[in-house]
Amino acid sequence: MTELIKVTHVSKQFGGICALNDVSLTVYKGEILGLIGPNGAGKTTLFNILTGFYTATSGELSLNDVSMRGLLAHQVLQRGIARTFQNIRLFANMSVLENVMVGRHSRTHTGVVGAVLRHRRARVEEVAIRTRAHELLHLVGISRHSQTLAKNLSYGDQRRLEIARALASDPQVLALDEPAAGMNPAERDTLKQLIRDLRDALGLTLLVIEHDVPWMMSLCDRIAVLDFGEKIAEDTPANIRTNPRVISAYLGDGA
Amino acid sequence: MTARKQAWFTFVALAIGLALLPLLVEAGLGRSWVRILDLTLLYIMLAVGLNIVVGYAGLLDLGYIAFYAVGAYCYALLASPQFGLHLPFWVLLPTGALLAGVFGLLLGAPTLRLRGDYLAIVTLGFGEIIRIFLNNLNTPINITNGPQGVNLIDPIRIAGFSLGKTQHLFGVTFSSPQLYYYFFLVLTLIAIFVALRLQDSRIGRAWAAIREDELAAQASGINLRNTKLLAFAMGATFGGLAGGLFAGFQGFISPESFNLMESIMILCMIVLGGMGNIPGVILGAILLTVLPEALRYVGDLQRAWIGHVVVDPADLRMLLFGFALILMMLFRPAGLLPSRRHLNELRHD
Repeated sequence: MTELIKVTHVSKQFGGICALNDVSLTVYKGEILGLIGPNGAGKTTLFNILTGFYTATSGELSLNDVSMRGLLAHQVLQRGIARTFQNIRLFANMSVLENVMVGRHSRTHTGVVGAVLRHRRARVEEVAIRTRAHELLHLVGISRHSQTLAKNLSYGDQRRLEIARALASDPQVLALDEPAAGMNPAERDTLKQLIRDLRDALGLTLLVIEHDVPWMMSLCDRIAVLDFGEKIAEDTPANIRTNPRVISAYLGDGA
Repeated sequence: MTARKQAWFTFVALAIGLALLPLLVEAGLGRSWVRILDLTLLYIMLAVGLNIVVGYAGLLDLGYIAFYAVGAYCYALLASPQFGLHLPFWVLLPTGALLAGVFGLLLGAPTLRLRGDYLAIVTLGFGEIIRIFLNNLNTPINITNGPQGVNLIDPIRIAGFSLGKTQHLFGVTFSSPQLYYYFFLVLTLIAIFVALRLQDSRIGRAWAAIREDELAAQASGINLRNTKLLAFAMGATFGGLAGGLFAGFQGFISPESFNLMESIMILCMIVLGGMGNIPGVILGAILLTVLPEALRYVGDLQRAWIGHVVVDPADLRMLLFGFALILMMLFRPAGLLPSRRHLNELRHD
């Protein structure tokens, strides 16, 4: 297995609070890696560091053995890590199609001159953006809503749209922050299938944060467990289930 | 095909209407109204430019008139007896627009992290700083001639053809304001064209995205810094161009033409017409330039009917203006011709 992302001894402090303490993690190409842990364990903080929204206080990050330290969010996306947000962040007053078209920004080049003159290259690119956006909407299964405003979509479809927008940047890695939050069991099952399909169809590597442990156990190839900013386990779902440190983190020391 | 024919018919009718407008207005209402038409075109250009910053990218700019001032002073200082320079207009206008664009970057750079009311205050300060500089740069070296302003600015001259005096063309006599009208009309149409094209492009979508949600825009690969600076610079360029035209048209400029009230008026044009929507912005600019001028007749009417002026038209102007804004807020909060996007934003369903 090829190592894709390497997180080495990463710590993050907010003032006096240590949100992440010396976390090391390896993500292999093509796997679905789950990130679980109680509330406030530092899962989202790790996501934010990986995607350039926070800078690590110390430690090293690399993608394909190239350091990612100090990159800004849009630069991280350019390198190939796309993300979704825990509390859905769409461009609410833009159409579903436009949302995905914006997601294509990093892979396109038309500037002011091209936009105004609409020369051949700009027109070809615009058509390509639109075509790709339609394809992705079809892939996540919301193509019939392409002209709807993003904010008028149902909750589950908004999550799907966020995934489509992230995919528009042709990422190598897709990081999903609580993608199943607020979904009913049936929707969760479809989402699980979608995530697997995306990996198989696009050769993606997936990072998933989710609280629903049984759901994660059946989805992920491997699971890393965070607790109070420290990584306490990184293993296959079967081994995680029996890991005593994980059990005590979730159920307390008396268990 | 009929829809296309209809579009052509509208286009031709509009073109003929716009071409005949200054001739009819001069014949019917007098030359001063042609000058008002010219100013209206300049305000349309300004409103379209500010709309890029405020309407497209959602960056509230209360100091926009500063770019108008930069363009105007750039033209005035390089084409007047002030320094004895008399450069041609095709150097002056691009230089003014470019310089204003640079000032746009200068304003944009320190305010990248600011949004909403914080940004509004900083831009307001910026606008005032430029005006106060222009007011005071007459000592120790006299650059701007201070509060007296710059006088005897060269009229715009295209290949020896001056727009500043009456000309005879094709057997028709055109007054100077009429000539300026046609020149401004061409440039205004170009400005509108550029703004429309930008709106419906990769760049326009990026602006809309940062207006909607900066974090999500970054996560979608948009370089926040460059995209915001581009909006500031583009808007400022439009302002600088209009400023240059204003200086050539008026022949005289002084710092008091570029006060905060002007910035607010241009912002009001956008808000009244419909933020983010070009036809709305144009309508707003026309209404807020033409209606105050029309109010001048109220003074004459009062004199004719009552014998003396009871309500000063200037006071009435502000009163009606405030009243109009309140009515707008109540009944059409997204503007007279709102953009689809902004209208949706105000609906909370």
